Amino acid sequence: MLKADNVVSFRQYIFAGIFAWLIIIILIVRYFQIQVLDNDSYSIKANSNRIRKITETAPRGLILDRNGQILVDNYPTYVLTAIPWELSDKEEKFSIISDVIGLNKIKVEENYKKYYRGRFNQVRIAKDLNFTQISRLEENRIDLQGIYYEYYPERYFPSIIRGSHIFGNVKEVDREIRNSLKNKENYELGDMIGWSGIEKEYETYLKGNRGIYFYEVDALGREVGHLNDLEPQEPIPGENIITTLNLEIQNKIEKIIKDKKGVLLVSESLSGEILAAVSSPDYDPELFTGLILESTWREILDNPDKPLLNRYLQGLYPPGSIVKMITQAALMEIADFDPSTTYSCEGSYQFGDRLFGCWWHEGHGKINMSSAMMVSCDVYFYKAIQLLELDQLAGVFRNFGFGELTGIDIPGEAKGIVPDKAYMNKKHGRYNWSKGALLNICIGQGEILSTPMQVLNFINLLATRGQAMRPHFVMKENHNENLKPSISNNTWDQIIMDMALVISDENGTGKNAALNLPGISIFGKTGTAENNHGDSHAWFIGWLDNGQEKYSVVVLLENAGSGGKIAAPIAKEIFQALVIKSNKLTIN
Amino acid sequence: MLRINNDLFSEIPRQLIWAVFFLNILGLVALKSIAQHHTGLLLQNPFTKQLVFLCPAILICVLITMTPRYLIHKYAYPLYALGIILVLLPFFGSTHSGTYRWLDFGMPLSIQPSEFVKVFTILALARYLSDHNLKMRNLTVIFIPIILVFLPTFIILKQPDLGTSVIILAPLLPMLYWSGANPFHLFLLLAPILSMGTAFHSLAFAVWAIILSIVIVLSRPNRIISLIIFFGNIFLGLLSPALWNSFFTQYQRNRILTLFNPEKDPLGAAYQIIQSKTAIGSGGIFGKGWGEGTQTQLKFLPVQESDFILSVIGEELGFITIALTLLVFGYFCSQIIKSSYLSKDRFSSLALIGFATVFLSHVFVNTAMTVGLIPVKGLPFPFVSSGGSFLIACYIMLGLVLKLSVNYAD
Repeated sequence: MLKADNVVSFRQYIFAGIFAWLIIIILIVRYFQIQVLDNDSYSIKANSNRIRKITETAPRGLILDRNGQILVDNYPTYVLTAIPWELSDKEEKFSIISDVIGLNKIKVEENYKKYYRGRFNQVRIAKDLNFTQISRLEENRIDLQGIYYEYYPERYFPSIIRGSHIFGNVKEVDREIRNSLKNKENYELGDMIGWSGIEKEYETYLKGNRGIYFYEVDALGREVGHLNDLEPQEPIPGENIITTLNLEIQNKIEKIIKDKKGVLLVSESLSGEILAAVSSPDYDPELFTGLILESTWREILDNPDKPLLNRYLQGLYPPGSIVKMITQAALMEIADFDPSTTYSCEGSYQFGDRLFGCWWHEGHGKINMSSAMMVSCDVYFYKAIQLLELDQLAGVFRNFGFGELTGIDIPGEAKGIVPDKAYMNKKHGRYNWSKGALLNICIGQGEILSTPMQVLNFINLLATRGQAMRPHFVMKENHNENLKPSISNNTWDQIIMDMALVISDENGTGKNAALNLPGISIFGKTGTAENNHGDSHAWFIGWLDNGQEKYSVVVLLENAGSGGKIAAPIAKEIFQALVIKSNKLTIN
Repeated sequence: MLRINNDLFSEIPRQLIWAVFFLNILGLVALKSIAQHHTGLLLQNPFTKQLVFLCPAILICVLITMTPRYLIHKYAYPLYALGIILVLLPFFGSTHSGTYRWLDFGMPLSIQPSEFVKVFTILALARYLSDHNLKMRNLTVIFIPIILVFLPTFIILKQPDLGTSVIILAPLLPMLYWSGANPFHLFLLLAPILSMGTAFHSLAFAVWAIILSIVIVLSRPNRIISLIIFFGNIFLGLLSPALWNSFFTQYQRNRILTLFNPEKDPLGAAYQIIQSKTAIGSGGIFGKGWGEGTQTQLKFLPVQESDFILSVIGEELGFITIALTLLVFGYFCSQIIKSSYLSKDRFSSLALIGFATVFLSHVFVNTAMTVGLIPVKGLPFPFVSSGGSFLIACYIMLGLVLKLSVNYAD
């Protein structure tokens, strides 16, 4: 059989040879394409492949009071993460985790889905773990390949004060939040972001930068070593924030207003630095850290007194008689009103077809402006204000910051309403309102609505003859220019003299706020604002002048009754605390 | 006797031995790099395992070169029958990770009979086709060779081992061509496959239809047959999208499609290709240096000691080494083809072209796979990859090539 001759022709041989070499050349060309032409892109790919990036959350900056006492701090917790492509038997591992740390397995799986962001990224599967839980997980390390934990600083509030509305809360960044952020590359799912209060306003300072470490890993996800060619970045803690708050005053006013509904504000009049602020009822600031009980949460949401509402920024109140100084200024500046002019008060005043009452139904008799201020007569102002147009009065209100944002450094401020002609026409129609509106507004009733923060700025401006800085919560160098109401010295003198009388005169409505201490003067004005929600709101605004500094106080108690009877005594307590504080300062 | 052997060795094509020597050393260098931090037993370490298997492999190779040619011819059919029985045996044993590829001897060794079947199939085919009574221009003559090849192909496909069955199938056409079969008949064999394959792409199908008609016109069979061939192929092509949709479930279709587009499935086969391309691509012209390949050393690269050993070489030793390797292999194959052309008897010539095809197919499938030109098929690179049965089979083929290249009448 071997005798059969080879019949292969030269043509067949050449064809086979060319075919073989063609295959070899195709392969070489392909290798050339990948290895030489595409080398750069594959090199990048190779590097990211073997490198595992581990991030460490930076602690947020602390929030301190003006004397450096820590108000908001961090404490260490641990979060458990998984790297999806290193997890071989997810179910089994989740079961172990759930057993060891006592968290429902369904919850672990939920978290895994919620935070999943690609196979090579860490997924947070549990949080708020303590050291004991982590130690127990560490004992099961061998069964938990692909599971990691990291240090995670959480907010806590070590001081005696609550300050919940001031500090605000942080929130965990979820997918929705992250997508809505402008600088989303700075946040990872599960990071904390300031969500309200100072935490939100000063987020860029407080946040800090995540630490990033690089490990070289093998295909099974085992760490082989640190990487030398990529610099690790230590986490940079956020910057600390020094607030204008005074721990003792804040503590004092929180105690005073406990179980009451309303607002207390204390500030340095000239600098606008807020020493203390409380909106009551408030909530425990720890509410937003760690695990909130569903029931606690519901309780707060369902509370008719709305503890979550920040009353001094978002609450809109009729100011009542505390704005009579504005009417006074308007009369004297615009109408050249002579303060010695007298009007007679019979307890009510008929204007058109409406009867406007004075709070003192028996009537104050024949009085001049200072007396009208002192006893807070309404009829006097009803009569006098008719010299002005609505828009003229509204203009002066605006000069003192009503109807405008104060620019306070906590987000969510409301603007309030200063009704002028345009506003009234729009609201009621051109012919459906009368000059009676003017009479209402000149005593701070009717359509006018203001926030307590606007009132604080107003009292600061009065105390400093228009020199005060805008109110603020955080010590900083640059402030927006405050309003500079252009009012003659004569008018300032009149207003300030009258406000002193309100306190010092035995008929003054604010006499309950008097301290009678040598070297200390108190100025103020009470207000009893009628409203649609029940009893009148009790207002007191005023300042304390110890010859060196001035401290402003705003007291508002919702539906509590008379400003003179209810609000003024509380102001007195605060003034006392301020005196003690400034004495301490002088001793130190 | 001694003189005869001297003649034998002096006529042996030394360049083939040098080429294999080069490839084998290169393979050992790569395996040593992989095995650097291996702490397993002798046979679990790919480098020492390769060294251990080289001894019997070379021994068998030398023995084969001393075997008289007529014996090889004489026992071609019995060996083929033995091979068929061997590939059937694993089906009666237990599965080896879901497949029936391995014959387990209860030792640390298990052999893969399909590796030897491809050698025996070539010998059987060469013997059949070298029968001088054959009228190769007749269409009917090529049916026996088709059966000879398809029988082991189907058995191995059932194991399942797609790669090896492709390799067994590969020599059929070249050997038929070599034995003088009508190229038009060979074309007819291929035509239905191409018709079905191109049917999913309208442009490709149009080009194919034009080529088909040109070939039919040029080879001038009678008119009715050419019409049957042409329209038969076109109809088959037009039908195949419908067949595709009705024969396979969505799941099966996806499985097949990922074969062609691995990027779609980054966890399965695609993972291997992506890692392989990353390793190769990041190697660059000169490579990252021996033992410095991050993809290799950190075990990102899968089955690196066998199927993806070229990726290891690409990453650590660079394009330069890859190009050299492929050129050496091209030279190796073209030398076998040359020997086949120069061979005096038809059996040797056919067997040589068969072995050249097997080597070349191995290289093509393996190399193309590492760079994502074709879907992943578990095929090693001859003489370079680690692997017991495969290494021995390669040396058996080398021995046969050396033996049959020598035109010495024994």
